[in-house]
Amino acid sequence: MIRNMSKLLRKTKKKKQNQQESKPQDALHQSFNENVEIFRSIYENCSDVVFRPFSIFGKTRAMIIYIDGLSDVEGLDENVLSPLMQETANESQPFNELLENKLPVSNVKKVNLLADCIESISTGNPILLYEGGSDGFSLSLAKWEKRSIEEPAAESGIRGPREGFTESLQVSTAQLRRIIKSPALKIQSMKIGSYTRTTVALAYIEGVADQTLIDEATNRLQRIEIDGILESEYIEALIEDNPYSPFPQIKSTERPDVACANLLEGRIVILVEGTPFTLIAPISFFSLLQSQEDYYQSFMISTFIRWLRYGFFVISLLFPALYVAVTTFHQEMLPQALLLSIAAARETVPFPALVEALMMEITFEALREAGVRLPKQVGSAISIVGALVIGQAAVQAGLVSAPMVIVVAITGIASFMIPSYIMAISVRMLRFPIIFFAGTLGLLGITMGIIAIAIHLCSLRSFGEPYLAPLAPLKGRELKDALWKSPLWKMGTRPHFTGESNVYRQAQGQAPSSKKGGESGN
Amino acid sequence: MEKGKISSLQMAMLMYPTIVATAILSVPGITATYAKQDLWLSPILASLIGFVTVYIAYKLHKLYPEQTVIQFSEQILGQFAGKVLGFLFLFFYIQTTGHMIRAYSEFIVGSFLFKTPISAIIVSMTLLCAFAVHGGLEVVGRVAQLFFPVFVIPIILLILLLIPDFEIGNILPILERGIMPPIKGAIVLSGWFAEFFLIIFLFPFLSDRRKGMKYGMITVVVAMMTLVVVNLVVFFVLGITTASQNYPLMNVSRYISYADFFENLESIVMAVWIIGAFVKASLFYYVTVLGTAQWLNLSDYRPIIWPIGILIVQFSFWSLPSTMALARFDFEAFPLWGLLTQTLIPLFLLLIAVARKRKQTGSKTS
Repeated sequence: MIRNMSKLLRKTKKKKQNQQESKPQDALHQSFNENVEIFRSIYENCSDVVFRPFSIFGKTRAMIIYIDGLSDVEGLDENVLSPLMQETANESQPFNELLENKLPVSNVKKVNLLADCIESISTGNPILLYEGGSDGFSLSLAKWEKRSIEEPAAESGIRGPREGFTESLQVSTAQLRRIIKSPALKIQSMKIGSYTRTTVALAYIEGVADQTLIDEATNRLQRIEIDGILESEYIEALIEDNPYSPFPQIKSTERPDVACANLLEGRIVILVEGTPFTLIAPISFFSLLQSQEDYYQSFMISTFIRWLRYGFFVISLLFPALYVAVTTFHQEMLPQALLLSIAAARETVPFPALVEALMMEITFEALREAGVRLPKQVGSAISIVGALVIGQAAVQAGLVSAPMVIVVAITGIASFMIPSYIMAISVRMLRFPIIFFAGTLGLLGITMGIIAIAIHLCSLRSFGEPYLAPLAPLKGRELKDALWKSPLWKMGTRPHFTGESNVYRQAQGQAPSSKKGGESGN
Repeated sequence: MEKGKISSLQMAMLMYPTIVATAILSVPGITATYAKQDLWLSPILASLIGFVTVYIAYKLHKLYPEQTVIQFSEQILGQFAGKVLGFLFLFFYIQTTGHMIRAYSEFIVGSFLFKTPISAIIVSMTLLCAFAVHGGLEVVGRVAQLFFPVFVIPIILLILLLIPDFEIGNILPILERGIMPPIKGAIVLSGWFAEFFLIIFLFPFLSDRRKGMKYGMITVVVAMMTLVVVNLVVFFVLGITTASQNYPLMNVSRYISYADFFENLESIVMAVWIIGAFVKASLFYYVTVLGTAQWLNLSDYRPIIWPIGILIVQFSFWSLPSTMALARFDFEAFPLWGLLTQTLIPLFLLLIAVARKRKQTGSKTS
C-alpha cells in the first residue's frame, strides 16, 4: 500500500518536473484559454502576479499579465486598457497590425515563446494575450521603485563628477552612454543565474579594446553556471585569474567617470544588475593605488599625492613589523635619544613587542569593522571606547606602550589612504604574517616576507596582463602613468597591454604655451 | 619546456646582482689580502674573464640558438661524453648554489641573528627561491627587475654617505710592488666573473636576441665598475685593515653618521644583501632545475624543484664543516673550480663545435 503510494507520489513529482522543465521552451499555444491556463499554473501561489481579463473592442477576449509593483499601472490604464476597450474595430486591417497601431506604447515586442513571456513579465513588461493569436505582446511599461542617482559613498572626491552608478542597470548603461556618445561603445548583455536571471552587461569600445580580451571576457562570463548573482563580487570570484591571491585582480568602481576612463584605455567594464559596483578588467597593481582625482588635478600635485600614497602603502604594510623588528632585534639602528624614550615607554609593558603589536592591530581592525557594521546612532560610542579606553586608558594602565599606539594609529591612517577598499583590506591582512616574521627573524623576516609578496605579485596576472606592469616587466613608455603622472598633453599613448590595437589617443604637441594663439594682434 | 620569455634588460638585471651581490661583501677583503692598496685594479683585470666568458657563451648560443649548454654539449661531444659533461655542469651548479646559500646564511648568523640555527635560514631562503623558480623564468626575471632599484639605490646611498670618512691617500703609492699582487687578487675574483657563463642558459629565452650580447657586455662593465668603486670606498675608509675583515662593507657601513639620526645602518646592508642573494640563488636554482630537466629529457621542470631544493640544502652542509672551511674554499678552490667549469670547458666546447661546423660545411661544399 505504502509503496504504491510513494510510487504514485514520485510519478506525480516527475510529471510536475517534466511539465516545468519542458514548458519554457515551448511556443505559445494556439488556444487562448490554454495559454491562460498555462500561465496560471506557472504563477501558481504567486500573489504578486496580476491577471487582468478584458475584451478588445468589446469583442476579442484578452488578458494582461503583469507583476504588481514592477509595471507602470497608470501607463497600463491610460495607454493600453482604455484605447483597446473603447475603440471599435476597423475590420479592413489585420488584427495584429491594428493592435500594434492602436497601442501608444513606445516599445511593443511580439513574443512567441513561453520563456520570452516569462522573461518579459519578470522584468516588469506586461504581456498582452488575445484570443485567436498564437503570440503575445510584450509592452515596455516596466517601472519600479529605484534609488535616485547619488554621490558615490565609497569613492568620494573633491573635484570631479558627483554622480555614481545605481542598482538599476539601465540607468548605469545610460550614464556610460551619456559620457561616451560614440556608437563604438558597445554594451553586450547576457542573463546569468538560473533563478535570479540577473542581467550582466559587458561594455567596451570597439577598436580600442583588444578583440582577444573581449572574447576572453565573454567566454569567462558564459562559463558561469550558478543559481544567482547578487553582487558583482559573485562575477569577480568566478572569472578572476588566480582565486588564491589576497590581491584583487579586478577593480570595482561605482563611478561612471572612472568606468569611462578605463573604457577609453582599452579595458572592459562589466555592469551587473542590482549593484552599483561595476567591474573593470584587466588592471594592474598600480591602478589600484590611483584615484580618479589624480586626473582632475595638476600633474605635479597628482605626482606628489601618488608618491605620498605609495609611501603610505609601504607604511601600512610594514610599519608595525618594522617597529617590532627594531625594538626586538635591531635596537642599535635607533639613535640613542629615541631608543631611550622608547625603552622608557616600554618599561612597564608586560608583553613582548610582537604580542603587543598583534594585540593592538587586531583591536584596531575590530574597531574598524565594528564601525562599518554599526548603526549610525551607536557609532559615537565606538569612537569614544576606541579613543579613551584603548588609547589612553590602556597606556595609563601600563598595558600598552604609547609608541605602539602611535604606530598603530599611523598604520591605520596609512591603510585608509589606499583608494581601493579591497586593496586596503588585503594589505591589512598581509600585515599580520609580516609582523609575525618580524617578531621571529627581525629585518630578515621582513625582507623575506617582502620577497615572498613580490614573487607572488610577479606571477599574478589580470586577464592575462602582468599585474606589476609597467614596472615588471618594465615598459618605459607607461611609467608616465604609474611611477609618476605626466601632464595630460604628454599622455599621448594608451597603455601597452590594453590599448595596443589603437595606440594614440590624442594629437602630439599640445603643450600649452603663451606663444600659441590667443592674442591675434601680435 | 620553458615557455616564458624575458627581455635582454631583464637578463642584465638578473645577472648584475648575481655577480655583484656576493662579491661586494667579501671581495674587498679577499683582494686586499693580495693586492693591498692596489685592490681596485683587480676587478678591472678580472673582468677580462667576464668579457671572454660572455663572448664564448654568445658564440656557442649563435651555433645552437634554441638550446642550452646541457642540450648542445651532447651534439658537440656525442651523447655519452655530452651527458658526462652535462652532469659536471649540473654538479657544479648544485654545489655552487648550496655553497652560496651557506655563505649567505653564515653572514646572517655571524653578523645579526647570533642565536638562530643556521638551518632555519638556509631552509627559508631555499623555500623562497623554490617559490620563485616555480613561477618560471618570467617570474624570476620580473622579480629581479622589481628588486633592481631596491638593490642598487641603497648601495649608491651608502657610498654617498661615506664620503666624509674618505682618506683618499690610502691608495697611494700605486703599484708599489709591481703588477703581480693585483693579478693575484684578480685570479681570486675571476671565479665571480666566470659566473657570467650562466647567461648561456638565458640566451635561448630572450625575446630580443640580437641585444643579448650587448646587454651581457654592459652587465660585465657595470659589475666591474661597481666592484672597483666598492673596493675603493672600502679602502678609502678602512685602509690596510681591509684585508683582515671578513665583510669589509659591513664594517664600513658602521662609519655612517648623518644628522645624528642615520646611524648604524648595517641592517640596511643586510636587507640589500638578502635581496641580492635571493636573486642570485634563484637564478642558480632555476638554471640547475632547468638543466637537470633537460639532462633527464623531462617535459617539465617543476616536479624536480623540490628534490633539487633538498639537494641544495644538503650541499650547503656537506664538505663545509665550518665558516673557516667556507672561507678557505672561497680563497683556494672556488677561483679555479669556477674558472675551469665556466670558462675553460666552454672554451673547449666552442673550439670543438667550430671545428665540427667547419668540417661539416667543408664536406658539404666539396
